[in-house]
Amino acid sequence: MSDVPVSARRRSVGFLLRFVALLLVFYLIVASHPVNDAVIVPFTAAIATVSGKLLNALGEKAEVIGTEIRSPSSFGVNIENGCNGVETALLFGSAVLAFPATWKRRLIGLLLGFAAIQVLNLVRVITLFWIGIHRPALFNSSHTVIWQSVVVLFGVLLFLLWAARQRPFSAERSPTGRERSRKG
Amino acid sequence: MLNGRAALRGLTGFLLALAFWFGFSRPYERAIAATAQALTNLFESPDVTRLEPSDKGEILLDRRDFPPGSARPGLPGPDIHFNFVLLVTLFALERRPLTGGHVARFLAAAAALFLVHVLALVFQLHSVYATSLGAWSRANYGAVARNFWAAGFHFYQIAGRFAAPFALWWFFGRREEEAQPERPRRRKKKRRG
Repeated sequence: MSDVPVSARRRSVGFLLRFVALLLVFYLIVASHPVNDAVIVPFTAAIATVSGKLLNALGEKAEVIGTEIRSPSSFGVNIENGCNGVETALLFGSAVLAFPATWKRRLIGLLLGFAAIQVLNLVRVITLFWIGIHRPALFNSSHTVIWQSVVVLFGVLLFLLWAARQRPFSAERSPTGRERSRKG
Repeated sequence: MLNGRAALRGLTGFLLALAFWFGFSRPYERAIAATAQALTNLFESPDVTRLEPSDKGEILLDRRDFPPGSARPGLPGPDIHFNFVLLVTLFALERRPLTGGHVARFLAAAAALFLVHVLALVFQLHSVYATSLGAWSRANYGAVARNFWAAGFHFYQIAGRFAAPFALWWFFGRREEEAQPERPRRRKKKRRG
Protein backbone atom coordinates (compact mmCIF):
# COMPACT_ATOMS: atom_id res chain seq x y z
CA MET A 1 0.00 0.00 0.00
CA SER A 2 3.00 2.24 0.33
CA ASP A 3 3.00 2.88 -3.42
CA VAL A 4 -0.35 4.68 -3.18
CA PRO A 5 -0.11 8.49 -2.93
CA VAL A 6 -1.26 9.98 0.40
CA SER A 7 -4.01 12.12 -1.20
CA ALA A 8 -5.41 9.10 -3.03
CA ARG A 9 -5.31 7.07 0.18
CA ARG A 10 -7.10 9.87 2.03
CA ARG A 11 -9.81 10.05 -0.66
CA SER A 12 -10.19 6.29 -0.50
CA VAL A 13 -10.51 6.21 3.30
CA GLY A 14 -12.89 9.20 3.18
CA PHE A 15 -15.11 7.29 0.77
CA LEU A 16 -15.08 4.26 3.06
CA LEU A 17 -16.02 6.30 6.13
CA ARG A 18 -18.90 7.98 4.28
CA PHE A 19 -19.97 4.58 2.93
CA VAL A 20 -20.07 2.93 6.37
CA ALA A 21 -21.86 5.94 7.93
CA LEU A 22 -24.52 5.94 5.18
CA LEU A 23 -24.93 2.18 5.46
CA LEU A 24 -25.58 2.51 9.20
CA VAL A 25 -28.11 5.31 8.65
CA PHE A 26 -29.94 3.37 5.92
CA TYR A 27 -29.90 0.23 8.05
CA LEU A 28 -31.46 2.10 10.99
CA ILE A 29 -34.15 3.50 8.69
CA VAL A 30 -34.95 0.17 7.03
CA ALA A 31 -34.84 -1.82 10.30
CA SER A 32 -37.15 0.55 12.16
CA HIS A 33 -40.60 -0.95 12.72
CA PRO A 34 -42.65 1.80 11.00
CA VAL A 35 -40.54 1.69 7.80
CA ASN A 36 -40.35 -2.10 7.87
CA ASP A 37 -44.12 -2.44 8.24
CA ALA A 38 -45.11 0.37 5.86
CA VAL A 39 -42.48 -0.03 3.13
CA ILE A 40 -40.34 -3.16 3.32
CA VAL A 41 -43.04 -5.77 3.98
CA PRO A 42 -45.42 -4.46 1.23
CA PHE A 43 -42.45 -4.16 -1.14
CA THR A 44 -41.44 -7.76 -0.37
CA ALA A 45 -45.04 -8.88 -0.89
CA ALA A 46 -45.00 -7.11 -4.28
CA ILE A 47 -41.84 -9.05 -5.21
CA ALA A 48 -43.63 -12.27 -4.22
CA THR A 49 -46.68 -11.31 -6.32
CA VAL A 50 -44.63 -10.47 -9.43
CA SER A 51 -42.53 -13.64 -8.97
CA GLY A 52 -45.71 -15.72 -8.63
CA LYS A 53 -47.14 -14.26 -11.84
CA LEU A 54 -43.90 -14.89 -13.71
CA LEU A 55 -43.70 -18.45 -12.36
CA ASN A 56 -47.28 -19.13 -13.49
CA ALA A 57 -46.49 -17.65 -16.89
CA LEU A 58 -43.51 -20.02 -17.09
CA GLY A 59 -45.73 -23.02 -16.36
CA GLU A 60 -44.99 -23.50 -12.64
CA LYS A 61 -48.10 -23.51 -10.49
CA ALA A 62 -47.44 -21.00 -7.74
CA GLU A 63 -49.70 -19.47 -5.16
CA VAL A 64 -48.73 -16.28 -3.33
CA ILE A 65 -49.79 -15.53 0.24
CA GLY A 66 -48.23 -12.33 1.52
CA THR A 67 -44.47 -12.74 1.16
CA GLU A 68 -44.69 -16.50 0.66
CA ILE A 69 -44.76 -18.38 -2.65
CA ARG A 70 -46.14 -21.92 -2.49
CA SER A 71 -46.41 -24.77 -4.93
CA PRO A 72 -49.09 -27.51 -4.90
CA SER A 73 -46.28 -29.97 -4.03
CA SER A 74 -46.14 -28.28 -0.60
CA PHE A 75 -42.81 -26.60 -1.33
CA GLY A 76 -42.76 -22.94 -0.40
CA VAL A 77 -40.35 -20.04 -0.08
CA ASN A 78 -40.86 -17.10 2.21
CA ILE A 79 -39.11 -13.97 0.95
CA GLU A 80 -37.55 -12.29 3.95
CA ASN A 81 -35.20 -9.40 4.54
CA GLY A 82 -31.93 -10.44 2.96
CA CYS A 83 -33.79 -12.05 0.04
CA ASN A 84 -35.68 -9.03 -1.29
CA GLY A 85 -32.75 -7.23 -2.90
CA VAL A 86 -33.00 -4.41 -0.37
CA GLU A 87 -29.70 -5.37 1.26
CA THR A 88 -27.86 -5.08 -2.08
CA ALA A 89 -29.72 -1.84 -2.82
CA LEU A 90 -28.54 -0.47 0.56
CA LEU A 91 -24.96 -1.37 -0.31
CA PHE A 92 -25.25 0.12 -3.79
CA GLY A 93 -27.05 3.26 -2.59
CA SER A 94 -24.54 3.92 0.19
CA ALA A 95 -21.63 3.54 -2.22
CA VAL A 96 -23.21 5.80 -4.87
CA LEU A 97 -24.02 8.53 -2.34
CA ALA A 98 -20.56 8.29 -0.73
CA PHE A 99 -18.82 8.69 -4.10
CA PRO A 100 -18.06 12.20 -5.41
CA ALA A 101 -20.51 12.96 -8.24
CA THR A 102 -23.24 15.43 -9.11
CA TRP A 103 -26.65 14.86 -7.52
CA LYS A 104 -28.19 14.36 -10.95
CA ARG A 105 -25.76 11.56 -11.76
CA ARG A 106 -26.26 10.03 -8.33
CA LEU A 107 -30.03 10.05 -8.79
CA ILE A 108 -29.81 8.45 -12.23
CA GLY A 109 -27.38 5.86 -10.86
CA LEU A 110 -29.62 5.08 -7.90
CA LEU A 111 -32.76 4.65 -10.03
CA LEU A 112 -31.14 2.53 -12.73
CA GLY A 113 -29.11 0.52 -10.23
CA PHE A 114 -32.11 -0.20 -8.01
CA ALA A 115 -34.16 -1.32 -11.01
CA ALA A 116 -31.36 -3.56 -12.30
CA ILE A 117 -30.81 -5.13 -8.87
CA GLN A 118 -34.52 -5.84 -8.51
CA VAL A 119 -34.72 -7.44 -11.97
CA LEU A 120 -31.82 -9.76 -11.07
CA ASN A 121 -33.44 -10.47 -7.71
CA LEU A 122 -36.64 -11.54 -9.47
CA VAL A 123 -34.58 -13.98 -11.54
CA ARG A 124 -33.06 -15.22 -8.28
CA VAL A 125 -36.42 -15.79 -6.58
CA ILE A 126 -37.85 -17.59 -9.62
CA THR A 127 -34.73 -19.73 -10.03
CA LEU A 128 -34.65 -20.66 -6.35
CA PHE A 129 -38.33 -21.63 -6.42
CA TRP A 130 -37.65 -23.84 -9.45
CA ILE A 131 -34.59 -25.40 -7.76
CA GLY A 132 -36.59 -25.98 -4.58
CA ILE A 133 -39.17 -27.99 -6.53
CA HIS A 134 -37.00 -29.81 -9.05
CA ARG A 135 -33.54 -29.97 -7.38
CA PRO A 136 -34.23 -29.66 -3.63
CA ALA A 137 -30.79 -30.99 -2.68
CA LEU A 138 -29.22 -27.92 -4.27
CA PHE A 139 -31.56 -25.39 -2.66
CA ASN A 140 -29.56 -24.48 0.46
CA SER A 141 -26.23 -23.89 -1.25
CA SER A 142 -27.91 -22.08 -4.16
CA HIS A 143 -29.84 -19.88 -1.77
CA THR A 144 -27.17 -19.02 0.77
CA VAL A 145 -23.96 -18.99 -1.19
CA ILE A 146 -24.41 -18.78 -4.93
CA TRP A 147 -27.36 -16.45 -5.51
CA GLN A 148 -26.62 -14.15 -2.57
CA SER A 149 -23.05 -13.76 -3.81
CA VAL A 150 -24.19 -13.19 -7.39
CA VAL A 151 -26.70 -10.48 -6.45
CA VAL A 152 -24.26 -8.65 -4.16
CA LEU A 153 -21.45 -8.91 -6.72
CA PHE A 154 -23.84 -7.54 -9.32
CA GLY A 155 -24.52 -4.55 -7.06
CA VAL A 156 -20.81 -3.96 -6.51
CA LEU A 157 -20.05 -4.24 -10.23
CA LEU A 158 -22.88 -1.82 -11.05
CA PHE A 159 -21.37 0.65 -8.61
CA LEU A 160 -17.88 0.23 -10.09
CA LEU A 161 -19.25 0.76 -13.61
CA TRP A 162 -21.15 3.84 -12.47
CA ALA A 163 -18.13 5.16 -10.55
CA ALA A 164 -15.87 4.71 -13.57
CA ARG A 165 -18.17 7.07 -15.50
CA GLN A 166 -17.94 9.71 -12.75
CA ARG A 167 -14.17 9.92 -12.85
CA PRO A 168 -14.00 12.84 -15.25
CA PHE A 169 -16.19 14.85 -12.84
CA SER A 170 -14.00 14.11 -9.82
CA ALA A 171 -10.91 14.87 -11.86
CA GLU A 172 -12.42 18.21 -12.90
CA ARG A 173 -12.99 19.06 -9.25
CA SER A 174 -9.45 18.24 -8.20
CA PRO A 175 -6.92 21.10 -8.28
CA THR A 176 -4.88 19.41 -10.94
CA GLY A 177 -8.01 18.93 -13.01
CA ARG A 178 -8.85 22.63 -12.77
CA GLU A 179 -5.35 23.59 -13.74
CA ARG A 180 -5.52 21.33 -16.71
CA SER A 181 -8.88 22.70 -17.80
CA ARG A 182 -7.62 26.31 -17.51
CA LYS A 183 -4.61 25.47 -19.52
CA GLY A 184 -6.72 23.59 -22.05
CA MET B 1 -10.70 -1.56 -14.62
CA LEU B 2 -13.93 -3.33 -15.67
CA ASN B 3 -13.59 -4.93 -19.05
CA GLY B 4 -13.91 -8.37 -20.58
CA ARG B 5 -10.67 -9.61 -19.06
CA ALA B 6 -11.62 -8.35 -15.60
CA ALA B 7 -14.99 -10.11 -15.95
CA LEU B 8 -13.20 -13.34 -16.89
CA ARG B 9 -10.82 -12.98 -13.94
CA GLY B 10 -13.79 -12.28 -11.65
CA LEU B 11 -15.70 -15.33 -12.91
CA THR B 12 -12.63 -17.54 -12.49
CA GLY B 13 -12.08 -16.16 -8.99
CA PHE B 14 -15.75 -16.71 -8.14
CA LEU B 15 -15.68 -20.35 -9.25
CA LEU B 16 -12.36 -21.07 -7.51
CA ALA B 17 -13.60 -19.37 -4.34
CA LEU B 18 -16.81 -21.41 -4.43
CA ALA B 19 -14.82 -24.66 -4.80
CA PHE B 20 -12.47 -23.62 -1.99
CA TRP B 21 -15.34 -22.56 0.25
CA PHE B 22 -17.27 -25.81 -0.26
CA GLY B 23 -14.08 -27.77 0.45
CA PHE B 24 -12.82 -25.89 3.47
CA SER B 25 -15.86 -24.31 5.10
CA ARG B 26 -16.02 -26.97 7.85
CA PRO B 27 -12.42 -26.52 9.10
CA TYR B 28 -12.85 -22.76 8.73
CA GLU B 29 -16.04 -22.93 10.80
CA ARG B 30 -14.17 -24.84 13.50
CA ALA B 31 -11.53 -22.08 13.56
CA ILE B 32 -14.04 -19.22 13.91
CA ALA B 33 -16.05 -21.21 16.49
CA ALA B 34 -12.93 -21.89 18.59
CA THR B 35 -11.83 -18.23 18.43
CA ALA B 36 -15.34 -16.90 19.19
CA GLN B 37 -15.62 -19.32 22.10
CA ALA B 38 -12.23 -18.23 23.50
CA LEU B 39 -13.24 -14.56 23.13
CA THR B 40 -16.58 -15.18 24.86
CA ASN B 41 -14.99 -17.20 27.66
CA LEU B 42 -12.62 -14.29 28.37
CA PHE B 43 -15.56 -12.24 29.64
CA GLU B 44 -17.47 -15.06 31.35
CA SER B 45 -17.14 -16.22 34.91
CA PRO B 46 -17.34 -19.16 35.04
CA ASP B 47 -16.60 -19.82 31.35
CA VAL B 48 -19.54 -21.96 30.32
CA THR B 49 -20.08 -21.26 26.61
CA ARG B 50 -19.16 -23.98 24.16
CA LEU B 51 -19.43 -23.68 20.36
CA GLU B 52 -19.42 -27.00 18.52
CA PRO B 53 -19.64 -27.06 14.70
CA SER B 54 -21.88 -29.89 13.51
CA ASP B 55 -21.95 -31.71 10.19
CA LYS B 56 -25.29 -30.09 9.30
CA GLY B 57 -23.76 -26.67 8.65
CA GLU B 58 -24.68 -25.39 12.09
CA ILE B 59 -22.62 -24.29 15.05
CA LEU B 60 -24.27 -25.75 18.14
CA LEU B 61 -24.42 -23.36 21.05
CA ASP B 62 -23.95 -25.21 24.31
CA ARG B 63 -23.52 -24.09 27.89
CA ARG B 64 -22.23 -26.29 30.68
CA ASP B 65 -25.12 -25.03 32.82
CA PHE B 66 -27.85 -25.99 30.31
CA PRO B 67 -30.06 -28.84 31.58
CA PRO B 68 -28.68 -32.09 30.12
CA GLY B 69 -31.80 -33.00 28.13
CA SER B 70 -32.57 -29.54 26.72
CA ALA B 71 -32.21 -28.66 23.03
CA ARG B 72 -29.09 -26.82 21.92
CA PRO B 73 -29.65 -23.83 19.63
CA GLY B 74 -27.96 -24.17 16.22
CA LEU B 75 -26.37 -21.11 14.62
CA PRO B 76 -26.19 -21.31 10.81
CA GLY B 77 -22.49 -21.10 9.98
CA PRO B 78 -22.55 -20.52 6.20
CA ASP B 79 -24.63 -17.35 6.63
CA ILE B 80 -21.75 -15.87 8.59
CA HIS B 81 -18.79 -16.75 6.41
CA PHE B 82 -19.99 -17.32 2.81
CA ASN B 83 -18.94 -13.74 2.05
CA PHE B 84 -15.38 -15.05 1.71
CA VAL B 85 -16.46 -15.87 -1.87
CA LEU B 86 -17.25 -12.20 -2.47
CA LEU B 87 -13.84 -11.10 -1.17
CA VAL B 88 -11.96 -13.50 -3.45
CA THR B 89 -14.02 -12.46 -6.48
CA LEU B 90 -13.40 -8.76 -5.89
CA PHE B 91 -9.65 -9.33 -5.52
CA ALA B 92 -9.67 -11.45 -8.67
CA LEU B 93 -11.06 -8.51 -10.66
CA GLU B 94 -7.80 -6.62 -10.29
CA ARG B 95 -5.09 -6.69 -12.86
CA ARG B 96 -2.35 -9.25 -12.17
CA PRO B 97 -4.12 -10.77 -9.14
CA LEU B 98 -1.39 -13.34 -8.46
CA THR B 99 1.54 -10.96 -7.98
CA GLY B 100 3.25 -11.04 -4.57
CA GLY B 101 2.02 -7.67 -3.31
CA HIS B 102 -1.52 -8.35 -4.41
CA VAL B 103 -1.57 -11.76 -2.72
CA ALA B 104 -0.20 -10.17 0.49
CA ARG B 105 -2.98 -7.55 0.42
CA PHE B 106 -5.55 -10.31 -0.15
CA LEU B 107 -4.20 -12.28 2.84
CA ALA B 108 -4.41 -9.16 5.03
CA ALA B 109 -8.03 -8.62 3.92
CA ALA B 110 -8.86 -12.32 4.50
CA ALA B 111 -7.38 -12.09 8.02
CA ALA B 112 -9.51 -9.00 8.69
CA LEU B 113 -12.58 -10.85 7.35
CA PHE B 114 -11.80 -13.74 9.74
CA LEU B 115 -12.00 -11.27 12.64
CA VAL B 116 -15.30 -9.95 11.24
CA HIS B 117 -16.64 -13.54 11.20
CA VAL B 118 -15.52 -14.13 14.79
CA LEU B 119 -17.21 -10.91 15.94
CA ALA B 120 -20.37 -11.77 14.01
CA LEU B 121 -20.52 -15.17 15.74
CA VAL B 122 -19.99 -13.54 19.15
CA PHE B 123 -22.84 -11.12 18.40
CA GLN B 124 -25.02 -13.97 17.22
CA LEU B 125 -24.51 -16.10 20.33
CA HIS B 126 -25.12 -13.13 22.61
CA SER B 127 -28.27 -12.24 20.66
CA VAL B 128 -29.50 -15.81 21.32
CA TYR B 129 -28.60 -15.49 24.99
CA ALA B 130 -30.26 -12.08 25.21
CA THR B 131 -33.50 -12.77 23.37
CA SER B 132 -34.21 -16.52 23.07
CA LEU B 133 -33.84 -18.05 26.51
CA GLY B 134 -36.97 -16.66 28.15
CA ALA B 135 -36.71 -15.75 31.82
CA TRP B 136 -32.97 -16.47 31.86
CA SER B 137 -32.46 -13.87 29.08
CA ARG B 138 -34.48 -11.24 30.95
CA ALA B 139 -32.60 -11.94 34.17
CA ASN B 140 -29.14 -11.67 32.62
CA TYR B 141 -29.54 -9.05 29.87
CA GLY B 142 -31.05 -5.60 30.37
CA ALA B 143 -32.97 -3.74 27.68
CA VAL B 144 -29.89 -1.91 26.39
CA ALA B 145 -27.80 -5.09 26.24
CA ARG B 146 -30.60 -6.99 24.46
CA ASN B 147 -30.90 -4.30 21.80
CA PHE B 148 -27.14 -3.96 21.44
CA TRP B 149 -26.47 -7.66 20.75
CA ALA B 150 -29.62 -8.30 18.72
CA ALA B 151 -29.30 -5.15 16.58
CA GLY B 152 -25.57 -5.77 16.10
CA PHE B 153 -26.18 -9.21 14.67
CA HIS B 154 -29.18 -8.03 12.64
CA PHE B 155 -27.01 -5.31 11.11
CA TYR B 156 -24.50 -7.98 10.11
CA GLN B 157 -27.27 -10.10 8.56
CA ILE B 158 -28.85 -7.28 6.58
CA ALA B 159 -25.91 -5.12 5.57
CA GLY B 160 -22.63 -6.00 7.27
CA ARG B 161 -21.97 -9.39 5.73
CA PHE B 162 -22.29 -7.93 2.23
CA ALA B 163 -20.52 -4.66 2.98
CA ALA B 164 -17.54 -6.20 4.81
CA PRO B 165 -15.87 -7.85 1.76
CA PHE B 166 -16.49 -4.74 -0.35
CA ALA B 167 -15.03 -2.41 2.30
CA LEU B 168 -12.02 -4.68 2.90
CA TRP B 169 -11.35 -4.99 -0.81
CA TRP B 170 -11.64 -1.22 -1.21
CA PHE B 171 -9.23 -0.64 1.68
CA PHE B 172 -6.66 -3.39 1.07
CA GLY B 173 -6.99 -4.41 -2.53
CA ARG B 174 -8.01 -1.52 -4.71
CA ARG B 175 -5.13 0.53 -5.97
CA GLU B 176 -5.99 4.13 -6.76
CA GLU B 177 -3.71 4.35 -9.75
CA GLU B 178 -5.49 1.39 -11.31
CA ALA B 179 -8.87 3.04 -10.80
CA GLN B 180 -7.84 6.10 -12.76
CA PRO B 181 -9.26 6.21 -16.25
CA GLU B 182 -6.88 4.90 -18.78
CA ARG B 183 -5.22 7.71 -20.59
CA PRO B 184 -6.06 7.82 -24.26
CA ARG B 185 -3.22 6.40 -26.23
CA ARG B 186 -1.28 9.04 -27.99
CA ARG B 187 -0.29 8.23 -31.45
CA LYS B 188 3.42 8.12 -31.71
CA LYS B 189 4.58 10.81 -33.96
CA LYS B 190 6.89 9.51 -36.51
CA ARG B 191 10.14 11.24 -36.22
CA ARG B 192 11.19 12.72 -39.38
CA GLY B 193 14.68 13.01 -40.45
